[in-house]
Amino acid sequence: MSAHLLEVLDPGLGATFQDRGRAGWRRFGVPPSGAMDDHAAGWANALLDNSPTAPVVELLLQGAKFLALHDCWIAVCGADAEASVPTWRAVWLRADDEVRFLRNRSGVWTYLAVEGGFDAPLQLGSASVYARGRLGTPLVRGDVLLRTPGAPFRLPAGVAGRSVVWEERRNYDATPILRVWPGPQWNSFSEKDRTAFLEQTWTVTPQSDRVGYRLSGQPLAPGQWQMVSEPLRVGTVQFPEDGQPIVMMRDGPTVGGYPKLGVVDAHDVARLAQCRPGRAVKFRLAAETAV
Amino acid sequence: MDWTPYGPHAALVRFADEVGDEAFAKAVAIRSALERNPPEGLLEFVPACTTVLLEFSGREVPSLDAAMPDILEQLQMAATLALPPEPVKEIPVTYDGPDLERVARAHELTTAEVCQLHAEPIYRVYLLGFAPGFPYLGDLDARLHTPRLATPRARVPAGSVAIGGQHTGIYTVDTPGGWNIIGHTPAKIFDPTRRSADGGDEAMFLLKQGDRVKFVRSNGA
Repeated sequence: MSAHLLEVLDPGLGATFQDRGRAGWRRFGVPPSGAMDDHAAGWANALLDNSPTAPVVELLLQGAKFLALHDCWIAVCGADAEASVPTWRAVWLRADDEVRFLRNRSGVWTYLAVEGGFDAPLQLGSASVYARGRLGTPLVRGDVLLRTPGAPFRLPAGVAGRSVVWEERRNYDATPILRVWPGPQWNSFSEKDRTAFLEQTWTVTPQSDRVGYRLSGQPLAPGQWQMVSEPLRVGTVQFPEDGQPIVMMRDGPTVGGYPKLGVVDAHDVARLAQCRPGRAVKFRLAAETAV
Repeated sequence: MDWTPYGPHAALVRFADEVGDEAFAKAVAIRSALERNPPEGLLEFVPACTTVLLEFSGREVPSLDAAMPDILEQLQMAATLALPPEPVKEIPVTYDGPDLERVARAHELTTAEVCQLHAEPIYRVYLLGFAPGFPYLGDLDARLHTPRLATPRARVPAGSVAIGGQHTGIYTVDTPGGWNIIGHTPAKIFDPTRRSADGGDEAMFLLKQGDRVKFVRSNGA
């Protein structure tokens, strides 16, 4: 069976290989990268019995188009981009079928998995593309995507299909309440500011990408203190001088010099990732902590 | 030395209050100790100038409160070790950056004086950050401390030698950036295609935290 599975007819607004990211290189200034919504990416792989570390294609918003070069199983999970195939389920594709993502209706990131996982080049132990850091390159028109050689996917005997249960399909249009853990400068913010952070509704701004999501709301007063740069995590909530939070995402810098109020729980970073500009988000404390 | 929680299963260890010789020596000794002898369950560590982030596996280290006292004690011991100084790595530089004259004017120096002051010291790599392999170098002569641009450039080419606040550094990839560009180097500080003879990935990074760096002026500048 040919390993040549899909041809990229159009990468849309952005298409990259992503997996669970590269661990262990932040001390060299290399961010972890990896799927922005690891929940949806994980389900795309799970539907096809792939390893959870198998690379998937991450699509931004809309416009991507692929041509099947061979019969194969695929799965599409994540943002609703009006896909031409059923989503959140294993789909049998025939050679010459097209898979199109017409219009983004809900969410930001959509994941395309293929049986066995895509065969993508590894850099520093990961297929995750971090284009700005010259680790991997985004997909372009004409790219031919390969699958990892191995046992083809088969539905278990007597089973007509396989889909993700409804409870696991998230509503990306709802206001997520993100669990946040106190960060290193939690106690440097006034009680009034900590309360304001937790009680108000913040809005995702258009200045949001794989590096960080900027939110806007009633500004806090992080003060003018001069800080020595400290390490950042995925989910760290930083407050620059303007008092508006930036939540660091998967391609974010490894160190930063702004006060760090908290860190969004790793499970909830995926929920924030799927929030489009204009969407409201709220925070709540993840553990019993005195405000 | 103390620590604060930084989300579940992560600790930020503070080993110095301010940047300086003492903090630098501790940072290098702690990095070296964590590389050679990582605590059980440590997934990743990220060193900065006065702090180091430790991220643990929640399964192997269910309670930071229980685990951290021993780890702090070990890091404390490691921090007192005097390590032999790293060899000095020479980086060729041509002082022809678009911000060279402005930096000179801001400090009432000639451009020749700026180049002289910049090329003179042996710098230390305080940390790698901002971009793959991007070195924050110090100590920069106080007469050259220059605030970052109010509006960052959309694209700074890899190899640009620049001043940002009290640090100097070298852009390792083409990226947006706000540091004052005073020159450039042909040295590939980060090269994703470079491998060591044994195939090691660390060879991608020319510099590591703790290295010493000397800028050597190329002909013509």
